[in-house]
Amino acid sequence: MLLFLPFISGCVQERDGEDKKEVVVFKHGKIAGDPEPFRQLLDRFEKENPGIKVKDEILPASTDEQHQFYVINLEGRSSDFDVLSMDVIWVPEFARAGWLKNLSHLLPASEMEEFFPGPIQAVTYNEGIYAIPWYIDAGLLYYRKDLLHKYGFSPPKTWDELIREAQIIAEGEPALYGFVWQGKQYEGLVCNVLEYFWSNGGDVIEDSRVVINSPENIKALRFIRDLVVTYAVTPPMVTTAIEEPTRHIFGSGKAIFMRNWPYAWNIFEREGSPVKGKVGISTLPSFPNKVSASTLGGWQLGVNRYSRNPEAAEKLVKFLTSPDAQKPLALTIGYKPTRKALYKDEDLMREQPFIAGLYDIFMRARPRPVTPYYMMLTQVLQPEFSAAISGIKTPEEALNSAHIQISHIMGIER
Amino acid sequence: MKVRGDGYRFVIPALILLSLVTVYPLVYVFYLSLYRRLLIFDISRFVGFENYLFIFRDDRFWNALKNTIYFTVTSVSLELLLGLFIAILLNRTFRFKGMMRAIILIPWAIPTVVSAKMWEWMYNTDFGVLNYLLGMKINWLGSPFWAMNAAIFMDVWKTTPFVTILLMAGLQVIPQEIYRAARVDGAGIFAIFRKITLPLLKPVILVVLLFRTLDAFRVFDAIYVLTGGGPANTTETLSIYAYKVLFQTLQFGYGSALSVVIFLCIGSISIFYIRLLSKGIKQ
Repeated sequence: MLLFLPFISGCVQERDGEDKKEVVVFKHGKIAGDPEPFRQLLDRFEKENPGIKVKDEILPASTDEQHQFYVINLEGRSSDFDVLSMDVIWVPEFARAGWLKNLSHLLPASEMEEFFPGPIQAVTYNEGIYAIPWYIDAGLLYYRKDLLHKYGFSPPKTWDELIREAQIIAEGEPALYGFVWQGKQYEGLVCNVLEYFWSNGGDVIEDSRVVINSPENIKALRFIRDLVVTYAVTPPMVTTAIEEPTRHIFGSGKAIFMRNWPYAWNIFEREGSPVKGKVGISTLPSFPNKVSASTLGGWQLGVNRYSRNPEAAEKLVKFLTSPDAQKPLALTIGYKPTRKALYKDEDLMREQPFIAGLYDIFMRARPRPVTPYYMMLTQVLQPEFSAAISGIKTPEEALNSAHIQISHIMGIER
Repeated sequence: MKVRGDGYRFVIPALILLSLVTVYPLVYVFYLSLYRRLLIFDISRFVGFENYLFIFRDDRFWNALKNTIYFTVTSVSLELLLGLFIAILLNRTFRFKGMMRAIILIPWAIPTVVSAKMWEWMYNTDFGVLNYLLGMKINWLGSPFWAMNAAIFMDVWKTTPFVTILLMAGLQVIPQEIYRAARVDGAGIFAIFRKITLPLLKPVILVVLLFRTLDAFRVFDAIYVLTGGGPANTTETLSIYAYKVLFQTLQFGYGSALSVVIFLCIGSISIFYIRLLSKGIKQ
């Protein structure tokens, strides 16, 4: 571990001389939009807890780099930060590594009920809670209200309906793409593909058994390839697309349907947007007689196991995830609350009706496989899914190959 | 004798610095590569050369090696040919010669990540200028066939200026008298090129090849930004694969073994070129 010494000694901070106040260092990604309301929230916390001073420090923009930062520092047992915000897929990994303080006492069963089920699953490891869900994200379907109305359609409930509607509308509007989503080889591709698996009753791991090459999943993966090849409702360019390019296409009025995260909504409704007032949202479609599902995203707050002020850090986590903090964050910077009750809050329904309308989607949001091995898993899934979608492998070949590799990873500790 | 001893004393600071920044990490990576080390799972077990044996069975490694070699050979040869051609053109006397030389350096001056982002947009199927000019809908970065070639094209665009400048420097030290004498003797341009320019430029060409091969073999940033290794790992090079194993999946043992293999490849390439070079100088 000597290798990491230069990094660590480089970031040791001056902590004395703060009038004996306890300093809590809070590491998080850049706050979307105006940082002022967030600072006001922290000021409020400091006022309510006169003995604590919060220092918030911003991490690099890319999620990969944030992960890398945490791994290097926590492996080096750094106590330079106390509260850390984590992507939903990291919690079991960090918990398994022993880097996070067990926070189960902050979330008694009664209070757990108040959160959406998906994020609670995602922060649970070995029956302990290792982080508190801060804000939530999930995949959803954007559609062109005006076009669906013009052709007498309602938002599709099944994938077949989506294809039919897209094909018929595209006949009348040949310049438009039918359905765009994110197909580049990256984490977002896994998010997309899992939604098809789940909406056909499939999964990756079930009761610690690897079930990725099930007939349901093979059918779902073949269907995704067919969206491009057979039904031609999805342009081949999706194999390079991450969120923003698809948002550009849909936002410039060039597509009928899009799978994306909630962030795109505000951009579509801006003054001067070509699709302002023409966009509708709904849960993602499913296969016939199956249940729709969204991939869960969002961020959670945890406490560094090596923190020198764990109690103050816990107070901050508790405060930031409380309804009192989640509400202003939703109103001012649009962070979607993880607590269900806020979606019936009158102020929120009036000021941010869009967020209030996301309740059903968040109820269906499912975490990606909750396992400490997730980062290894996704390195298998990304290229295999990409190979199936670009036609290098058949869906069976890709999923069988993934099955072998994932089984190997799950047995790594044995 | 005394003089020699003093010499060593002067070299010592540099030696210490070098061993700290290169020898120590190198030895440490080799040491790590003999372990099965997974940070998350508290696994740290000595396994000898098991990681290296696994490399032989690892399809993803061979795929990455194949991609890396294809990238290196194609991009370096294109850059050399183009660079030579442009260098010879620019070496003639004409108006705006200075300006032309400055302009040609622009692609080289732009940071790689910036130009990769730029090219990512130019390659965009719907909004990209490339498809606009061609009037086509080619899926440059998304099709297994085009993706690697698109990355090579970008690399050629970016690095040809560097090759050109080095070769121009080489051309300028060739004495004009030799050319004049050859012309008096009635040699045509091709004969002059083959018998005078090429042999006299050989040491510079070798230096160019050495730099470029090493750079291309380690290619990371350009491709990482352009495609991230996709689609289906068709653009995943050794450096990208090692990065993913080391820093995304945190398999420090295996990742280190991969890094050592990359190091050995690069080491042998360097030795090969340096041998060729020193031979050339002795002649």
